[in-house]
Amino acid sequence: MAGMDREFKELLISVTTVIIGFWAIVQLTSGLIWDWNGWKALEPQSYPPCEVNNFFQFACSTAWIGMIETIKIAILATFFGMLLSLPLGLLSSRNLFPSYITYPSRAIVSACRSLPSLIWAIVFVIIVGLGPTAGVLAMSIYTVGYLGKMQYESIEGMNSAPLEAANAMGLSKAEISLWVVIPETANHLIAQMIFMFEYNVRSGTVIGIVGAGGIGYYINLYLKFLEYERVAAYLVIIFLAVLIIDMVSIYLRSFFVDDSEKTKPSWSGVILPPKETIDPPRSSNPQQF
Amino acid sequence: MGVPAIVRLENLEVGFHSTLLSIENLEISSGDILAVTGPSGIGKTSLLRTISGLLRPISGFVQVDGVRSPDRPRRGTIGYIPQKLGLVRHSSVWANVMLGSRAARSSSDSKERAINSITAMGLEEKKYESVKRLSGGQQRRVAIARTLAQQPKLILADEFLSELDEKTSMRVTKAVTNYVSASGAAMILVEHDISRAKEISDRLLIIDDGRLNPFITDTSILEV
Repeated sequence: MAGMDREFKELLISVTTVIIGFWAIVQLTSGLIWDWNGWKALEPQSYPPCEVNNFFQFACSTAWIGMIETIKIAILATFFGMLLSLPLGLLSSRNLFPSYITYPSRAIVSACRSLPSLIWAIVFVIIVGLGPTAGVLAMSIYTVGYLGKMQYESIEGMNSAPLEAANAMGLSKAEISLWVVIPETANHLIAQMIFMFEYNVRSGTVIGIVGAGGIGYYINLYLKFLEYERVAAYLVIIFLAVLIIDMVSIYLRSFFVDDSEKTKPSWSGVILPPKETIDPPRSSNPQQF
Repeated sequence: MGVPAIVRLENLEVGFHSTLLSIENLEISSGDILAVTGPSGIGKTSLLRTISGLLRPISGFVQVDGVRSPDRPRRGTIGYIPQKLGLVRHSSVWANVMLGSRAARSSSDSKERAINSITAMGLEEKKYESVKRLSGGQQRRVAIARTLAQQPKLILADEFLSELDEKTSMRVTKAVTNYVSASGAAMILVEHDISRAKEISDRLLIIDDGRLNPFITDTSILEV
């Protein structure tokens, strides 16, 4: 019961801090860069006419359209990035393949990671033109670089005993990868993919600035028109969307760690520390250890 | 005599950077079960790893089923049960046993072989359970079932009976020895318990602690 009280108290403090912080920022910036007129960003566009129910009119606003496009770009980039990075991650693992395979494979992964997604976006806008296709390609390439590295590090860190048993049996590298490595590291691979999606949503808000689609395109547009109040509203919307996606991501990732066997993932665990650290030990007598 | 040798070790020196164990000449024939025993750190596991091809010999040769090191024997020839079992923890019992079955020299009846070995180990009810949720003893039985499903010519087992109770240990031993005698395979096992090792094996290799002498010669390997 004492634990519950403490949990509730911490939740209350967290929420109050966020509200006070938000209110302070609004007050401090009001009249400078902030204006409630900025929330026109959530009004439907005049053209094309909005045909949805009055209650969902915001779905025709540029903010909503931009944010959804950013999320779609992130989903596709994560999907294509995962498809390409997994074989590269396996080929880069030194506990699976000899160095004449791992070095070239690692070089490809490093090359993909060497440029930030914004620069890749510029490259693909030049190649395929303006729009979300360039964004998907740019972020897919960056995902390959980032995810590939995380994957081969996880694979190299896996327990060597299953690999030794499979090698002694005489299984091929493809069979070992498919039936031993992927199932054994699946939790890590899934958690990394969810993290990458969350990362792609965040970085996807930026690539629109160079014309690669998403909410960044509108931010850039309103910056050019000096409509800073709208830009501020967009930033708040991005902040809220990223916050929600972060929380969902933490919740989903908690299913794919070994700790989830002991404690079932809960929404309170997204905001608060795990219960074990909240509950004080029942006995403070050190001699009992 | 006349029984073909499945394993032949010639002037073998086993170790990582320095020699832990040296064996001049040793042959293990079809149907033989050889137990290796000795103090910890003497090189018993390294010997199994060298025979399985996971560790390169410092010098000398290992010949398994007619294939001489550094060439690897044919797929499915060796069934290895490491001390840490080498199971895919996040997969089911079935997936782990099927892994052995798929590695077999013959690709036919792989499902039937997996079912038979799961039954032999008394794991029918745990078939679809994740390995990580099983007890230590049950996990050990999964590793043995995987090797039996593989139907190898040579079984290398590192302390494969530890964590098993008396009754299960007898059941497992019976299943493995039956397989070895019926299929004409050979088996090398590392076992600390000498009485148990004598019970299972036809031959026993006792390796002395040769710490004063970096080279343990064949004179310090006593055949009982």
